[in-house]
Amino acid sequence: MKRRGRGIACMWYPIGFTVSANPSAAVVKVNEDGTATLLTGTVETGQGSLTILAQIVAQELGIATDDVHVVSADTDTTPMDTGAIASRTTYVTGNAARLAAEKAKKILFDVAAPLLGVKPDHLEVSDHKIQIKGFPSRSLHIGDVAERARGVNGDPPLGSASFNPATAALDPETGQGKPFATYVYATQIAEVDVDDETGEVEVLRVVASHDCGTPINPMLVEGQVEGGISMGVGFALEEEMLFDANGRQINPNLTNYIMPTSLDMPKVEVDIVDSYDPTGPFGAKGVGEPTCVATAAAILNAIHDAVGVRVTSLPATSEKVYAAIKAKRAQEGKRLAAGT
Amino acid sequence: MAKVTLTVNGEARTASVSPETTLLRLLREEFGLTGSKLGCDVGDCGACTVMVDGKSVNSCLMLAVQADGRDVVTIEGLATMERLHPLQQLFEDKGSLQCGFCGPGIIISAKALLDENPDPTEEEIRDALAGNLCRCTGYSKMIEAVRAVARAGRDERTAGSVA
Amino acid sequence: MDKKETDDKKAAVIERESQTEALREMLRAPAAAPLAPLPLETLVPEVRQQTPAVRQRATRPDARLHGLGQTKYIDDFYLPGMLFAKIKRAGIASARIVRIDTKEAEALPGVVAVVTARDVPCNSFGPSLKDQPVLAGERVFHAGDGVAAVAAVTEQIAAEALEKIEVEYEPVTPVLDPLESLKLETPGLHAPNPNIYGHKVIRKGDVEKGFAASYRIFEASYRTQMVEHVPLEPHSSLATWDANGRVTIYSTLGRITLGRADLARTLAVPMSRIRIIATVVGGNFGGKNEITTEPVVALLAKKTGRPVKCTFTRPEEFTSSTTRHPIIMDYKTGVTKEGRILARQVRLVLDGGAYCSWSETTLAKACILSPGPYDIENIYAEAFVVYTNKTMTGAMRGFGAPQVCFAYESHMDDIAEALGIDPLEIRLRNVLREGSLSPTSQQLHSVVVRETLLQAAQRFGWNGAEVRA
Repeated sequence: MKRRGRGIACMWYPIGFTVSANPSAAVVKVNEDGTATLLTGTVETGQGSLTILAQIVAQELGIATDDVHVVSADTDTTPMDTGAIASRTTYVTGNAARLAAEKAKKILFDVAAPLLGVKPDHLEVSDHKIQIKGFPSRSLHIGDVAERARGVNGDPPLGSASFNPATAALDPETGQGKPFATYVYATQIAEVDVDDETGEVEVLRVVASHDCGTPINPMLVEGQVEGGISMGVGFALEEEMLFDANGRQINPNLTNYIMPTSLDMPKVEVDIVDSYDPTGPFGAKGVGEPTCVATAAAILNAIHDAVGVRVTSLPATSEKVYAAIKAKRAQEGKRLAAGT
Repeated sequence: MAKVTLTVNGEARTASVSPETTLLRLLREEFGLTGSKLGCDVGDCGACTVMVDGKSVNSCLMLAVQADGRDVVTIEGLATMERLHPLQQLFEDKGSLQCGFCGPGIIISAKALLDENPDPTEEEIRDALAGNLCRCTGYSKMIEAVRAVARAGRDERTAGSVA
Repeated sequence: MDKKETDDKKAAVIERESQTEALREMLRAPAAAPLAPLPLETLVPEVRQQTPAVRQRATRPDARLHGLGQTKYIDDFYLPGMLFAKIKRAGIASARIVRIDTKEAEALPGVVAVVTARDVPCNSFGPSLKDQPVLAGERVFHAGDGVAAVAAVTEQIAAEALEKIEVEYEPVTPVLDPLESLKLETPGLHAPNPNIYGHKVIRKGDVEKGFAASYRIFEASYRTQMVEHVPLEPHSSLATWDANGRVTIYSTLGRITLGRADLARTLAVPMSRIRIIATVVGGNFGGKNEITTEPVVALLAKKTGRPVKCTFTRPEEFTSSTTRHPIIMDYKTGVTKEGRILARQVRLVLDGGAYCSWSETTLAKACILSPGPYDIENIYAEAFVVYTNKTMTGAMRGFGAPQVCFAYESHMDDIAEALGIDPLEIRLRNVLREGSLSPTSQQLHSVVVRETLLQAAQRFGWNGAEVRA
């Protein structure tokens, strides 16, 4: 018989390396037509980080995502970056990209200020324009200012910057200190059906509420959460590298190493919680890794809720769950027989 | 070496291949169509999916000589110079692809499904994609995109029948 | 020289020539392929043209290329004259290498070069401990170790050549159980490194005092398994040298800056002569954060003077790239009658596999995160990572966090059940808040764990959530 259960799990996760420096550098060039080019040493590994970085630069310059072209991942042409690791790209590389764009913007403001008859401090960017704060009608197109910066002032608008998260060393005896600049938080709730005659678990639904600071691109955040959950489902129920007694792998292939397919994926509902980190670019933190952290815990708690057994080793395969159910029944049977 | 003649994305193509050459290697190495990917080489991952005579096939499991005289459609054959295939458009709009490596195979599997069954249920979509592994996306936004394409097709058909 | 020998030689020459002819046939440049009709320009979605740009559901320009099959991943590159490399795997978990004979492989028509550990200028690297060889020389530490590599004109010939490489091993009893490894005397598995090659302690407050004040104390143990990243794109790299002694390496690395440092070390080439280009990586999840095939293709390309590409087979992804650390986790938690946690003690033993890789980071993150997102005054967490003769463990999405989360959240539900408290409620009573001190006594900001609990509970329809919100 299928039994339904629900399980909750919350988690926290840091952004960036543990204490060690993990800087990113970036270069932003504003082109004479008001578009921009970002040079970054980070690598697009599927997360959409280059789009996120384009959005950050665009926001700083008051232009659109499509106006920013990103050149990445070439040790000859792009500045150093610690890379696509530790959920650090949005926060660390994002901060570097924003700072580089800010420097380029400062050059544009210096050029625009005398033309608009104000000090650079009184300027802001908005919708492809450099305008006077509070007087948006007094403005110049960013492309015109960039062209003038190059052609008249001889000061092409470009900026370079780097960022390293603020950490402090841990005490070697007690481990006390500030290992990370910031953390993200999340809760996932899983609903499962467990067949108490086979031990088979079906994950029906996962509800996920994630913190990433400001979501620079909510669609890409959702994509990360959905993908993380699928990895979590595999970790919870299916995936395991097996070794023989001599230390050779038994299942080094996708025939016998079982990972989630479209049929194993539950219905996922993603919420992004309201959050703002003043140390992140436009309040953003990160989201890559944390998405897969709470899933297995939530599923295992849901199994416990459904059939009353606590599986303490992953993955919770049907065999393992069924064995736990059988053991529980045997114990209950004994208790019944003993009349307790 | 054996000579094979087949239709690839609507064009007749000929090649001389060694007997053990797979259709995938023929496409990638002889014809330069690298959209179909080699992910496992044994038919587990689906990254090499192409359509042969209208059915989705793991091209790493089919020998090039077996494709002789048949009609092959790869990911490169879906778009025209003017526009993306609706699946390609919706996969882009909905953020369905992340690293993209599984994308060509998944889109081909989805096309094979929609060609046969233009109005599939979510279960049918999940079934059709079950042979294509994806590690990035959790499949959610892909299923959503396929549903959206099916819905658009349905609307078009309804509009057509009214008119 | 007798007649038979001469005939054999002649036959060999004829066979070789016919094979070469077959090769030439195979290598014949394909007729210029007509380009597939691909859209040159389609509409830019409006969402990409919006300002302000942040918070927009902007589509990805690379996604369009992915969907069209236009994205060039490393394995999609074919340079003129390019050779294909394959790596011979040990297939034995622990052994001394007595002898490697590559003569027969080198003689195979189509094979252009073979390299072994002897060809590697500096045969050690790693993100912290430099305990990983490019190719194993004297000692094999896990079955996925590479012992030799071949460059040939086709992938198939390279694979065939691997069969012809003879390696004589003197087996050494492997250690596979991390708890057994923990007990091993020095020098242990991987001398001169100690067997417990990483250790971390987090001590906050006084756990004994906390336990003494507790209404009840709960203890439990949990274990997790080894898993693979399974990026759909296998590891791949392609190297090509120029006449100024510069090498360009196209690679699936997710971190090129540090990758270049590892390459400079292993190849003994100045960094300024190494260019790494990571085009678009087909999935990483932590598994592509260190060099694998890169130094091998660079060495083979230098030896042959031709571009060399090496792409992992799917089995190699499992046997010869990093994996997620299995962890054995012991928890002891003291609580009040109301379910407030007063003290938590954690002991973690990480199976570090054959090499250190990113174990130090995983150890530290797992240890710091192990008490959970809870405001706990008294904490003692201790973590060890040990060598075993299994596939190396390294960086993987979450660096130990999914493992400890499974433990602390299973433990939390058991405590809630025993005390008769709702699982949501017990978490709300304990979670970190703005300004709370973390296990390392860091004052936390932008803390929204409570908000995520309530938001998820409300969406799910967890009874009572509406009341709390």
